[in-house]
Amino acid sequence: MNIQQSSKLPFEELIAESFEGVTGDWHHELCKRGLQNYVDVGWPGAKNESWKYTNLNKLGSHSFSIAKDYSTAIPEDMIIPLDCPRLVLVNGVFNSELSDQKLLPEGIALTPLANLSDYQKTFFDDLRLGKEIKYALPLASLNTAMFSDALVLELAEGTELSSPIHIISIGSGSQITFAPRIVVNVGKGAKLDVIESHVGASSGMYFSNSVVQFNLQDGAKVGHYKLQNESNESFHISLTKVLIKERAFYDNFTISLGGILSRNEIQAHITGSGAECCVNGTYLGAGSQHIDNTTLIEHIAEGSCSREVFKGVLGDRARGVFQGKILVHPDAQKTDGYQMNRAMLLSDQAEINSKPELEIYADDVRCSHGATVGELEEEHIFYLRARGIDRERARRMLIGAYISDAIDEIRNTGIRSSIQGVAENWLKHNLYEKK
Amino acid sequence: MALLSIKNLHATVGGKEILKGINLELGPGEIHAVMGPNGSGKSTLSYVLAGREGYDVAKGEIVFKDKNLLDLEADERANEGIFLAFQYPVEVPGVVGMTFLREAYNAKLRYSGHKEADAMEFLKFVRSRAKTLNMSDEMLKRAVNVGFSGGEKKRNEILQMAVLEPELAILDETDSGLDIDALKLVSEGVNKLRSENRSMLIITHYQRLLNYIQPDHVHVLAHGKIQRSGGKELALELEANGYAEFSGEAA
Ligand SMILES: Nc1ncnc2c1ncn2[C@@H]1O[C@H](COP(=O)(O)OP(=O)(O)O)[C@@H](O)[C@H]1O
Ligand SMILES: [Mg+2]
Repeated sequence: MNIQQSSKLPFEELIAESFEGVTGDWHHELCKRGLQNYVDVGWPGAKNESWKYTNLNKLGSHSFSIAKDYSTAIPEDMIIPLDCPRLVLVNGVFNSELSDQKLLPEGIALTPLANLSDYQKTFFDDLRLGKEIKYALPLASLNTAMFSDALVLELAEGTELSSPIHIISIGSGSQITFAPRIVVNVGKGAKLDVIESHVGASSGMYFSNSVVQFNLQDGAKVGHYKLQNESNESFHISLTKVLIKERAFYDNFTISLGGILSRNEIQAHITGSGAECCVNGTYLGAGSQHIDNTTLIEHIAEGSCSREVFKGVLGDRARGVFQGKILVHPDAQKTDGYQMNRAMLLSDQAEINSKPELEIYADDVRCSHGATVGELEEEHIFYLRARGIDRERARRMLIGAYISDAIDEIRNTGIRSSIQGVAENWLKHNLYEKK
Repeated sequence: MALLSIKNLHATVGGKEILKGINLELGPGEIHAVMGPNGSGKSTLSYVLAGREGYDVAKGEIVFKDKNLLDLEADERANEGIFLAFQYPVEVPGVVGMTFLREAYNAKLRYSGHKEADAMEFLKFVRSRAKTLNMSDEMLKRAVNVGFSGGEKKRNEILQMAVLEPELAILDETDSGLDIDALKLVSEGVNKLRSENRSMLIITHYQRLLNYIQPDHVHVLAHGKIQRSGGKELALELEANGYAEFSGEAA
């Protein structure tokens, strides 16, 4: 039973309004199914295990309107600085003027929502693992009910792209909500690096509720690097859903440093043997930022491996959440799984909730996980000071080293150094020079 | 005139008095050895000189190059020319050895009003110093001391000393945990750095190191005080008789 019988769920009225902009029967049906799923599960509350540490009351009670303006300029200093073709969404809607679709190399296709093939439409099937409540994805359902446009990218079998593709989602306006929807389907043996930057065009407060899907066919190799740099007061909720088939390789890294409240949820499903999956990231929080990283890595087929390293630095009253689950199915023998979350707290009021979880139904596996929480160590600071480096500089060197250790997980060296620069810039403006 | 002058130094750690009236003078270019049983306060003395927090001076004075050392922060002392080779060098994850050396070197240059070193020149300089200590480039690319053996950590301390060229080097049990080959290598490294404008305070439990690095003066520290001072023959006497003479509670 839905407890909120009498009153409507957050965003329910907006969904009705967003329906008006939907064209085409298929999309309409999809939205209706999304709405139904959303209404069935309801707004996440304390009872919902997966949302235990991330309270959405403030988001749910805030009044937003549907974004209507889809033009703006790219905030160049907020995105990952890389020279490569860009595909830009403004408030969830593809903006061809800001995008470089003409520069897209051969082998990659961008299909507008209105022209999707029947096969492409299957990408939008229900994302839930099962009907049980624990698999509910209320915010992803809300995205399905509300998205007005989608970015559907397909890389043909065997195509290897040397240059990355940069997908930029820009939030433009104040008190608005939008639902970016991105699908990247990578054909057999194809190779691609995707950068995903989420930024705000101005300091306006908005709610971006995104769903990003990656399908890796057999032998595909994908690097997926995400920057969450939403404007200061904004909300960012995202689900990244990844299907990894035989011998495919998925290298993911997320750097979260924007917004007032963010959730980066990743569900990677390894359905083919010999596949490899890396889900890494770093989170940087100051002020009263709340940053949630929730991951599920599901080993379904035999002989795959996964590696997950998250490292965060939290100052002021910032709060971090890390929930990481490795789920190994009975048939997934010879699984090799590693997971680690480390957080450095720079103030007494900063906080981290860490919940690593292993759920293993196969007997011949190697899985380990761990979590550490610490502060800057006086012993390290003194060692540097004893060599003439002053306290503040020593502190910066040690924090920088802590973070770069996580960023080093990124395989693509060019992207690695760009992200390193973004992190250093954030540390400088939010921790070092703000006193 | 003395380079370092310690007068009636009393120091407490965690509220407990460890140093109970140390008097010591080091002239320029002199090498002094401080020997003593475990727990006698040798490392405490080295930390007090280096300016470690939590090592509180209750009484007495320390003058270094005519300056009141106690007025200076740890990093200022280092930049004034004091170098402590740690008994237990810490591992510093993520901070690359070469970066660490460059930061330290440049800090000293900035402190004395000079501009920072040219990166390429500095790299060459460090490599040449590292070579004499049999340290590979690869070690300098790694995070400071991370995964280093005991001997490698000690060599790394001496490398830092060779790069920073201090006026006063304090070597806290640099010999402990070294096998004979490593000991020779480290001693040679130290001896190369001997000069008339570099003084050294060599802290050791055993006389062994002093076979390789000959001190001008030897002091015995026990119960927080210098109990005896003498020439290098005092070290041999201690080697023969042990610290039994100093083991009872001091008067
Ligand atoms: N951090 C500390 N807190 C409390 N006591 C300490 C601390 N460090 C050293 N001590 C005590 O001070 C005394 C001297 O220690 P130390 O200077 O390390 O001796 P040594 O180097 O001669 O072996 C010992 O009794 C030791 O237990
Ligand atoms: Mg000691």
